[in-house]
Amino acid sequence: MSFRNIITVYRKELLEMLRDKRTLFTTILLPIILYPLIFVGFSSLMSRQSVKLEEKGATIAIADSVNNDTSRELIKGLEGIEFFKYLPYNAASEQLFAEKEIQAIVSITDSLGEDQLRSYKIGVRFDKSDEQGQMLIGKINRSINDSEKKVVEQELRRSGLNPNLLNMVRIAEFDVSTAQKKLGTILGMILPYLLIILLLSGASVVAADLVAGEKERRTLETLLVSSAQRTEIVVGKYLTIITIAMVNVLVNLVSLFFSAKYMASQSGLETAGVSLPLNSFLILFLALIPLATLFAAILLSISTFSRNMKEARSYEQPLLTVSMLLAMISFFPAFEFNNLMALIPIINISLLFKAVMIGDFQISHLLITIGSTLVLDVLAIWATIKLFNSEGVLFRTEDDSSIKSIRSNKRSFFNPYNGLVFFVIALVLLFYLGGSMQKQDLAKGLVQTQILLIALPVLLTLRLLKQNSKEVLRLKAPRLKEIILVPFMAIPAAILVSLLSQLIDHFFPFPSEYLEQLGRLFQMKMPLWQQFLVIAVAPGICEELMFRGFFPRFFEGKSKSTTVWITALLFAAFHLDPFRFVPVFFLGLLLGYLTIRSGSIYNSMLSHTINNGLALVLVSFADKPWMKYLSSGGDALRIWLAIPALIIFSGALYLFHRVSKTEENS
Amino acid sequence: MIEVMNLVKGFPKKDGSTYYAVNDVSFEARDGEIVCLLGVNGAGKTTTMRILSTVFKPISGTARIQGWDIVKDPQKVRENLGFLSGDTGLYNRLRPREFITYFGRLYGLEQRQINQRIDEMADLLDMKDFMDKKIDLLSSGMKQKVSIVRSIIHDPPVMIFDEPTSGLDILTARNIVSFIRSCKERGKCVLFSTHIMREAERLADRIVMIHKGQLLANGTLDDLRAESGASDLDDVFVFYVNRQNQDMELKHNEF
Ligand SMILES: Nc1ncnc2c1ncn2[C@@H]1O[C@H](COP(=O)(O)OP(=O)(O)OP(=O)(O)O)[C@@H](O)[C@H]1O
Ligand SMILES: [Mg+2]
Repeated sequence: MSFRNIITVYRKELLEMLRDKRTLFTTILLPIILYPLIFVGFSSLMSRQSVKLEEKGATIAIADSVNNDTSRELIKGLEGIEFFKYLPYNAASEQLFAEKEIQAIVSITDSLGEDQLRSYKIGVRFDKSDEQGQMLIGKINRSINDSEKKVVEQELRRSGLNPNLLNMVRIAEFDVSTAQKKLGTILGMILPYLLIILLLSGASVVAADLVAGEKERRTLETLLVSSAQRTEIVVGKYLTIITIAMVNVLVNLVSLFFSAKYMASQSGLETAGVSLPLNSFLILFLALIPLATLFAAILLSISTFSRNMKEARSYEQPLLTVSMLLAMISFFPAFEFNNLMALIPIINISLLFKAVMIGDFQISHLLITIGSTLVLDVLAIWATIKLFNSEGVLFRTEDDSSIKSIRSNKRSFFNPYNGLVFFVIALVLLFYLGGSMQKQDLAKGLVQTQILLIALPVLLTLRLLKQNSKEVLRLKAPRLKEIILVPFMAIPAAILVSLLSQLIDHFFPFPSEYLEQLGRLFQMKMPLWQQFLVIAVAPGICEELMFRGFFPRFFEGKSKSTTVWITALLFAAFHLDPFRFVPVFFLGLLLGYLTIRSGSIYNSMLSHTINNGLALVLVSFADKPWMKYLSSGGDALRIWLAIPALIIFSGALYLFHRVSKTEENS
Repeated sequence: MIEVMNLVKGFPKKDGSTYYAVNDVSFEARDGEIVCLLGVNGAGKTTTMRILSTVFKPISGTARIQGWDIVKDPQKVRENLGFLSGDTGLYNRLRPREFITYFGRLYGLEQRQINQRIDEMADLLDMKDFMDKKIDLLSSGMKQKVSIVRSIIHDPPVMIFDEPTSGLDILTARNIVSFIRSCKERGKCVLFSTHIMREAERLADRIVMIHKGQLLANGTLDDLRAESGASDLDDVFVFYVNRQNQDMELKHNEF
C-alpha cells in the first residue's frame, strides 16, 4: 500500500467534490444560511404567537349553582382575568362549547362534608390539546388559588383564628441548577440527534457518488486498470467521505453556534450569565470522528455493492432510518449510560454527547465507545476491500441484483430467501405464542413451545412439500465411534461456554430481573427426571430438528463452513437474548459442525441434550459437597476447569474430525 | 509481449448455467507488432481484453503480459499495460490535464515526467487547444484522445485498445491509427480490437479472429487470404465463420 497513491486518490476525490455544485450546496452553503433563518424566524414567530394567544383571551360560560358570597367571590376573581369574557351558563352553552365559540365551561357546586363543613368544587371543562385551552386552565387555576386564599382567610378571621395559620407550612425552592446546566440539558437532548443525522446525511451523499457514481459514469474501470491497488483506492475514498462529513458537521456546528449565540443575546439570556459551552462543542466534534469513520466505512461498502447511485441511495435508507431511531435515545431522560450501552454504535455516541453536554462523563465509557466503534470500523473497511476485489460485485449487471436473484432462484424451496422468511416467521411465533404459553405453566409451556412451535412446523412443512424428511433432516444413525466421542466434546464445550458467560457477566453484568427469569427455569417443582426432559431432552430434539436439520438446507451451496456459521447465527438470534448471544452462537457452531460433518443429526441432538442437562446438574447439585471443587457458588464454575476442558475438547474434536471422514468431505 | 493461453471466461445465466463469452482462446502478440482482434458484436473481444487488463479473472487458462501472469501478478501486469476500452470513462468534472496527471501520479510518475509526457502526446494527437477545458464539454473524439493519453501516460511496453476508433470521424480516426503505428515503430506491443475490416487490413500485422467466444483463425493477412482463397477481408471472415458452423454441425451430427 502506497501512502502517496492514497493521497493522490484522496486529493482528486476532494477536488471533484468541490466541483460538484450539489455537494457544495448541501454540505457548506445550506447550513450557513439555514440556522440563522431557523433561529431568527422561529424566535420571532414564537414571541408573536404567545402574545397573540394572550390577547385572544377566552370566552367562558359559568354555571353557579351555589350562588352565595363565596361563589360570588370566586367568580369575581375569575372576572378579573385580563382578556377573558364570561357568559352565564344556559341551554345554548353546550352547543357553543361544541362549536368552540366558548372555550370552557366552569361550574361551581358545593357539598357538606361529614364534619358539616361546606366545600366547593369548581369544574372546568376545556380542551387541553388546544393551545388556548392550556393557556386558560393555567390562568383559571391561579385565579381560583388566589380567591381560595382570600375566602379561607375570611373564614379563619370569622372563627377568631389567626389567618397566618394558612402560611404555616411553605415550600422554599432553591434551584441549584445554573442556567448554564439547564442549557446543557437542552442542548444535550437535541444536539446529539442533530449531529448524528447531519453526519450521516452528509456522508451518504458523498459515499453514493464515490463508487456507485463511478460505476454509473463508467469511470470505475479506468481506475481499476491503473496500477493503483484496490486497498489504496478504498482508503483514499474512505478518507474523502470522512473529511466531507466532518466539514459538513463543522460548518453546521459553527453556524448553529453563532445563530444560537445571536438568539441568546437577543433574548437576554447572554446577559444573565449564560454562555454557550464552546469547549463542549469542541469535544462533541472530536467524539464524532470515530462515528464518522464508521459511517464512512459502511456507506462505502454500500456504495461499492450498488450498481448505481439510485440503488445506493435506496440501500442507504434503512441505515439512515435505524440510525435516526438509535440517535433518538438522547431525547429520553434517565437513560443510563453503562458499559453495555457503550458497546452499541450510535446509541453510545448519542449518550456520550448528552453526558458531555451536562458535564459529567466517565472515561471508561468514552474508551469503550471509541474502541467498539473502531472495531466495527475495521470490519466495515475490510468488507469494503473484499467487495472491491470481487468482480461479481464491481460488474454486477442489471438482472442479477443480488436480492432479486435470491428471490427468483426458485429452483428449489431450499434457498436462502425462503430460509430467512421461515426463520422470521418462527421467531415471531416464538415471541408471541411461546411467551403466552410459558406464562401460565412454565414447564408445560416450554414443552409446548418446543413441540408445537419448533418441531411441528418443520415436520409439517416437509410433509407438505413431499420431501423425504429422513434425508433432509439427516435422521441417519451415527457411527458408534462418533456417538462415543460426542460427550467428550459436549461436556467440555458446555464448561467453556459457561465460563465465557461468566466472563461476559463480569464486564456487562446481567440485570437482576434477567437472572431471576433464568432461575425460574431451574426451580420448577417436579422430579429431576421430568426437569431433565423439559430442559434438556425436548430442546435437544426439537431445536436440533429446526437448526441442524432444517435450516442448513436453506444455506447450502457456498461451503459447509458458511452453512454452519449462518445457522449458528440464526440459532443465537433465535434465543432473543443479547446476553447469551455469544455463548449460544459458539454452541451453535459446535452443533452445526457435528451434524454437517457427520451427516447424522443424532450427534448434535446428544450434544445439545448433554449441554442443557449439565446446567441442570450444576444447579440441582449445587449444595452437594463435591460441587465445591467445581463451582464457586451457584452456577459459577471454577476458572481452572477451562484448561482440562480445552484439552479434552480439542482432543475429542480432532478424533471426531478423523472418524467422521467420509468420501464426500475428505 | 502478450501471451494468451487457453483463456476461458463465463458469466452466470439467469437459469443458473454458465454462458461462455470466451472459450479456450490462445494467441500471442510480440513486441513491435500490431495484432488485431477481429469479431462481430458479442464475439468476446472486450471480455478477452478485460481479462488481460486484470479486471476480470478467467475461469481457467491464463495470460502473460511482458512475462507477468495476469492471475498471479495483476499489479505488475497493470504497471506494464496501457488499457483503453469503451468502459474506461473519463471524470467529467476534471480537465484533461488534471485527469491525465491523476493517472500519471497513480502510476508513480513525477510531476515533471507527467508534464513532459502530456506535452509530447498533445503534440502528437493534436490536442493542445482543449487540454484545459472541462472534460464534460469535449466532443467524443477529443475525449477519446484524452483517454488514449491517459492509458499510456506511463509509457507501457504493452498497449491494449478496445475499438479505439469507434464513433470517430475519419480525420480523428486516421490521427489515432497513425498514432498506433508510431507506437509499433517504437517497439511497443499493440493489441487492438475492431469489427471494421478495413481498419484491420490497414493496421494489423496479424489478425486474430474470434467468433462466439472461440478462436476462428490466427495469422497474417496474407496467410488468411491464401487459406480461404478470398481477397476481400469480409469474405475471408465469412469463410471462417462458415467453416466453424460446419464443424459444429459435423460434431453435432456425430451424436
Ligand atoms: N459482465 C458481464 N456479465 C454477463 N455477461 C457479459 C458480461 N460482459 C459481457 N457479457 C457477455 O459476453 C458476450 C461477449 O461480450 P463482449 O463485450 O466481449 O463482446 P465484444 O466482442 O466486445 O462485442 P462488441 O463488438 O459489441 O463490443 C456477450 O454476449 C455479452 O452479453
Ligand atoms: Mg466490445
